[in-house]
Amino acid sequence: MTAALEVDAVKKSFGGVTAVNGVSLRLEPGRIYGLIGPNGSGKTTLFNCVTGVERRDAGRILFQGERIDGLKPWQIAVKGVGRTFQVTRVFPELSALENLLVVTRGDRATAERRGRELLTFVKLEKLAGEYAGNLSYGQQKLVEFVRVLMRDPSLILLDEPAAGVNRTLLNDLLDAVRRLRDEGKTVLLVEHDMKVVMGLCEVVFVLDHGDKIAEGPPGVIQADERVIEAYFGR
Amino acid sequence: MSPTRLFQGGLVVIAAALAVYPVFGTGYGVRALLQLFMWIALAGSWNLISGLTGYVSFGHVAFFGIGAYTAAILITNAGWSWPLACIVAGVAACGLALLIGYPCLRLKGPYFAIAMLGLNEVLRALVSYFEGLTGGGSGLSLPTLQASVPIYYVMGVCAAAVTALTYVIITSRFGLRLMTIREDEVAAEAMGIDTARHKLYAFLLSAVGPGIVGGLAARDQGYIEPISVFPLATTITMIVMVLFGGKGTVWGPVLGAVVLFVSQEIVWARFPYVHQLLFGAIIVAVVLLMPRGVLGILQIKYRLPRTV
Amino acid sequence: MNVVITPAMVGQVVISGLLSGTLYAMVALGLALIFGVMRVINIAHGPMLMLGAYATFFLYSAFGVNPYLTLPVSMAALFVIGMLLERTLVFRVVDAPELSSLLLTFGISIAVVNLAQLAFTSDLRAVEFLTGSFVVGPFAVSKSRLVAFVFAAIITAAVFVFLRNTKLGKAIRATSQSRDVAMVCGINVGRIHLITFGFAAALAAAGGTLIAVIVAIQPEMGQIWTFKSFLVIVLGGAGNYPGALVGGMLLGLIEQLASLFLTTQLSEAVAYVLLVLVLFVRPTGILGGRST
Repeated sequence: MTAALEVDAVKKSFGGVTAVNGVSLRLEPGRIYGLIGPNGSGKTTLFNCVTGVERRDAGRILFQGERIDGLKPWQIAVKGVGRTFQVTRVFPELSALENLLVVTRGDRATAERRGRELLTFVKLEKLAGEYAGNLSYGQQKLVEFVRVLMRDPSLILLDEPAAGVNRTLLNDLLDAVRRLRDEGKTVLLVEHDMKVVMGLCEVVFVLDHGDKIAEGPPGVIQADERVIEAYFGR
Repeated sequence: MSPTRLFQGGLVVIAAALAVYPVFGTGYGVRALLQLFMWIALAGSWNLISGLTGYVSFGHVAFFGIGAYTAAILITNAGWSWPLACIVAGVAACGLALLIGYPCLRLKGPYFAIAMLGLNEVLRALVSYFEGLTGGGSGLSLPTLQASVPIYYVMGVCAAAVTALTYVIITSRFGLRLMTIREDEVAAEAMGIDTARHKLYAFLLSAVGPGIVGGLAARDQGYIEPISVFPLATTITMIVMVLFGGKGTVWGPVLGAVVLFVSQEIVWARFPYVHQLLFGAIIVAVVLLMPRGVLGILQIKYRLPRTV
Repeated sequence: MNVVITPAMVGQVVISGLLSGTLYAMVALGLALIFGVMRVINIAHGPMLMLGAYATFFLYSAFGVNPYLTLPVSMAALFVIGMLLERTLVFRVVDAPELSSLLLTFGISIAVVNLAQLAFTSDLRAVEFLTGSFVVGPFAVSKSRLVAFVFAAIITAAVFVFLRNTKLGKAIRATSQSRDVAMVCGINVGRIHLITFGFAAALAAAGGTLIAVIVAIQPEMGQIWTFKSFLVIVLGGAGNYPGALVGGMLLGLIEQLASLFLTTQLSEAVAYVLLVLVLFVRPTGILGGRST
C-alpha cells in the first residue's frame, strides 16, 4: 500500500543550526500519527518542509507516492495536504465564513453551504460574519481547523491543535479527528499535551534535536528510556 | 427607502448630471472634471494592487507615463486616432506590467516599493535617451486638436469602469484571495492559493487604467515631456487619495480623489509653495491617525459591508 | 562613441570609485542602522543629508568658518533633529507593518524638502572652499573629494569601532539581531531606537557637510542619496553593516566605470538599473543579509 506520506532522510539547517537531521517517517493512510519532542526538536520545521514552506536541504518527501519536495506550498495544498499553524493564522480582516470560502473554487453557493456546516460543527455558526481577527484565540483555532477541511485534504497536519481550546470543544475536535481518520484520511499532529497524544494517536514519532529517537504506539513510547531522557534529562 | 437604494438613486442622479454637464458647463469646468475623472481612475487602479494585496506600488505612475508616450507617439508619428491610440496605450502599460510584474512581485514589501520607484526613474531616463522617438528632454508635441468634451466622456467612463471593476473584484472570491495575500501570504499559500499568479493578475489589472488614462491625458494636454508624465508627485497623489479615502474599499479612492482634488483646486491653487508640505503632512497624519482611511474606519465601526 | 581605454583611465576610475564609494558607504551606514535596528525604511534619510549641507553652507557664509570644522555642528544638529523625529513620529510605526514606516518617512521627506524650499529657496548654493585637484602622475584627484574621502573613512571606521567595542554599540547590534532578546537582556529598546535614528541622521549630515564643498546645494539634493543608500544596502545585504562598506565601494566603482562608456544621461540611470537588477537577481544582497 502506498504510504500517505513518506519522509525520507530529510535534512534542514538554518545557518549553522541543524533543525532536522536526516529524519525518516512513513505514514500509512487512514491512521492518526503524533509527532512529539521537546521544544526545538525540529517538529515545526519538519511540518514546514512537508508543506513546502521551507525547502529541505536533503532527502525526499513523497505524498501518496509522488514527490512533493521542491513544489510550492500552494501546489502541495492543492494535491491534498492541509495544515494548521502553531500560532493561528486566520485572515483577520476576512469574516469567519470568508476565511473558509476563500479556500475554495467552484460553485460559491455549495461552498458557502459547506462553510456554514463546518462552522456549525464547531459551534461558531453565529459568528460566521464576524471578522476573524475579532474572535477569541480558541475560536480562531477552530476556524483554522475547519478551514483546512474545506478542501477535503487526504493528509492533515495539525500543529498543536489543543493549545488554547477549552476541554469540551477539545473533545469535539478530537472526535472530529477520529471521524476524519474513519473516512480514510491521514492525520499527523504535533502536540505537547500528552493526554491528547496518548489518547488519540495510534503511532507516535519522537524527535529530539533534529533526530528521530523513537517510533511506536503511545504506550511503548511512554516507557521508552530515550524519550524520558529527552524530555526530562538524565 | 433603504440606504442602498438611496445610494444607488444618488449615483444615477450624479451620473446623469455629469453626463449633461458639458452642455451647460464652462470649458474650465469640463477640464477640471476631466482631471477629477483621471484621478479617480488612477487612485482606483492603485487601490487594486496596493489596497487589496498590500503590495505598495511606489512607481505606479510608470504605467501612466508609458501610456502617455505610447499614445503620443502613435498619434504624432503614426497618425493614429486618439481613441485607438489610447487603447493601445493601455495594452502597452499592461505589457510593461507583465514584463516587470513577475520578478518584481517576488520581492517582499519594502523592496517591491523601492523597485517600483527605481523602475519609474529608469523609464524616465530611457525616454530621455531615445530622443528620436520620444523627443527626449524637450518633449513631444501632439497635433492640435480640440477634443476636451469627448475626452471628458471617455475619462468619465474610465473612472466608472475602474470603480465598477473594483466592486466586482471585491465581491468575488478572486478579490478575497487577493486580500489574503495582504493578510497573511504564507497562510494563503498553505491554503492552496497561487499567490504569485494572483498578484500578477492584480498588477496587470492595476496597470491598464493608468495606461489608458495616460494616453488620454497626453492627448488632452497636447504636449508631454518626461518630467510631466513620470513625476513622483503623481504617485504620491494617488497614494494619498487612496489612503485618505480608505484603501481596500470600493469607494475609498473615489472619495479621496474627490476630496483632495477639490481641496487642491480651491485651496492649494492659492498656496502653491506649500503644496508638498501639506501633502507630506496629510500622508503623515493619515498613516498615524487613520491608516484605514475614512471609509475604512466607518466600515469597521458601523460594520458596513465590503462593497462600501 | 569610440573610447580608447587606457590603463590610466581605468586607474582613474578605480580611484574615483573608491573615493566616492567611501562616502556612499558612510551615508548608507546610517540607513542600514535604522533598517537593522528598527526595521524602518527611512526615505527621509536624504533630506537629513540636505539639511547637513545647508547647515554647513550657512555657517560658512555667515562666519567664514572652515566647512570641515562644521562637521561636529551639523552632525550634532541632525542628531537632535533625528531624535526629535523618532520621538514624535517614527516610533509610532516601528511595530506597524513595514509599509506604514515607508509611507510615513516618505511623507516626512517631502514635507522637509518643501520646508527647505520655503526657508532656503531653491536657488543653488555653493561652498567655494576647496577647489582644484592634486595631480599625481596620470591621475587627478579633486581636492575636495579627497578630503571628503578621508573624513568619511575616519567616521566610518569610528562607527565600526563604536559598534564593536562600546556598551552602547553592542546594545545596538544586539537590538538589530533580535529585539525581543535584547529587551529580555535589559536593554531599553526604545532608547536604542531613539539614539540609532539620531545617529543615522548625524551620519547623513556628515555626508551633507562633506558633499557641500563638492556639489551645488539645493533642497532636492537628498533624494538621490536616499536612493543610492538603499542601493548600497541592497548590494551589501540588508542588516549587514560591513556590507554597507562593500556595497558603497561597489556602487562607486560601477558608477565611475559606467561614466566611461555611457553618456551622462544614462550613467545617472545606472544606479537605478543596478538597484532593480540586484533586487531581481538576489534580493538578499551580494554578501547576503536578512530579507525583510
